[in-house]
Amino acid sequence: MVFREIGKRIQLAREEKGLTQEELAVKLGCTQSALSNYELGKRRLYLNLLNEIAQVLGKPLDYFMESPAEGEEDRASGLLIDPQLKEILISAADLPPKERQLVLDFINWRKSQK
Amino acid sequence: MIGFTLTEAQMTAQKKAREFAEKHMKPYARELDRMPSPHFDWKIVDRFASAGYSSFFIPKEYGGGGVDYLTVAIVCEEMAAVCAGICGVLGATMLAANCLKAGGTDEQKKKYLSLLAEKKGKLGALAITEPAAGSDLGGVNTIAHKDNDSYVISGIKTFISNAGIADLYIVLATTDPVKKYAGLDFFIVPADTPGLSAGKIEDKMGMRASQTGDVILNNVRVPAENLVGKPGTGFLVAMQALDLSRPMMSVDALGIARAAYETALEYTRKRVQFGKPLFKNQAVAFALADMATTIDAARLLTWRACCLLDSGMEFTKEASMAKLFSSEAAVEICSKAMHLMGAAGYTRDFPVEKYFRDAKAMTILEGTSEIQRRIIAQEL
Repeated sequence: MVFREIGKRIQLAREEKGLTQEELAVKLGCTQSALSNYELGKRRLYLNLLNEIAQVLGKPLDYFMESPAEGEEDRASGLLIDPQLKEILISAADLPPKERQLVLDFINWRKSQK
Repeated sequence: MIGFTLTEAQMTAQKKAREFAEKHMKPYARELDRMPSPHFDWKIVDRFASAGYSSFFIPKEYGGGGVDYLTVAIVCEEMAAVCAGICGVLGATMLAANCLKAGGTDEQKKKYLSLLAEKKGKLGALAITEPAAGSDLGGVNTIAHKDNDSYVISGIKTFISNAGIADLYIVLATTDPVKKYAGLDFFIVPADTPGLSAGKIEDKMGMRASQTGDVILNNVRVPAENLVGKPGTGFLVAMQALDLSRPMMSVDALGIARAAYETALEYTRKRVQFGKPLFKNQAVAFALADMATTIDAARLLTWRACCLLDSGMEFTKEASMAKLFSSEAAVEICSKAMHLMGAAGYTRDFPVEKYFRDAKAMTILEGTSEIQRRIIAQEL
């Protein structure tokens, strides 16, 4: 569940900052047990509080929302939702391997230009 | 915090809502329920607007009535007791407003909550569900591409309340499918934006006075400032908006249950069999006693959730408990009421069969009973 992942990241960022649950709870104006429940994903936390946590721990908001690193396959299947990327893949599949390599070289060349 | 009495203002609101429902909803509820195909009656909007109900839940600073959640609940119970379908038109707008309240910037709230609060009555719609994404928002396929100072949105939304009639849509889309939940964002899309259209309108079993259907987004371009709040916040805002709306779903279920119970009570007191009214049989009277007790319990759970919300306290679990209990109770009470009335309850001469059809929606909409149990279990 998403709230559990967010909780894990709060714990990670808190420990990185060298704060105990109690210390962070004081800064946020909540109880230690409430913070513990947020870190365990047992309690839903809303945007306002997460904004505050992000500020106190000096992290951007996305840090807490990002899911842990996923395998290449997950990444690829996620990307295929995009119709344009899907079209590129399907078109590339029609080409012989040598020409596919040319397409890949072109993509890499375009990326290196930026 | 513990109190069971309403303030004078809340009692006035209750009385006014009861009169409104009696005068401006009851005469049309039956007719709208019986329309052979989906049909939206625009007079619903006019009637809500002229009584101030189309915006009473919007904060005063944006031109609304600014009442607390408990008052909204009290008012909606009265309306749902007459027609949950008509009340649902309002509920869908409330859901969209809750999304803006939860995640919108000050400018967005000022601009769009004020728009929903306009005197002549405006409708909102929150477009989350998709063919592949219901309870699991990780499956959202509607894509929003950033293009200079705007976003271009494409996708299909389904089972959207107020589809095709809303003035303002709040649409959930992904700006980066790889990021899953972190890539979700809400976008404010005025109904007249090119590329936005209504698709199939559902022919529903109940809640027939409200319109539900597909919303199609075909390269809909909105300015970048229409992204609700900050990028990457869509998931959290969705959860909060749905949590905020849960006590309102609970109260709709409560209203339906109460109406079914009242119909059965009146009928069994009048109907004479074996020389006495049905109600004089303990088997019948006890069933009604159970129904009355369950309805009271549902009301207490709902009011508690609203009081927690109004006092800014944690309310997630309590809101889910209220919605779970009230909606399941509504289905059961409607079924019992129908049974107590015998063949009469099964006919269309009485409204119990309508209540029964409307009640079933309550256990499904805005998080099924299973989703509510999951939310509650997570907090145990």
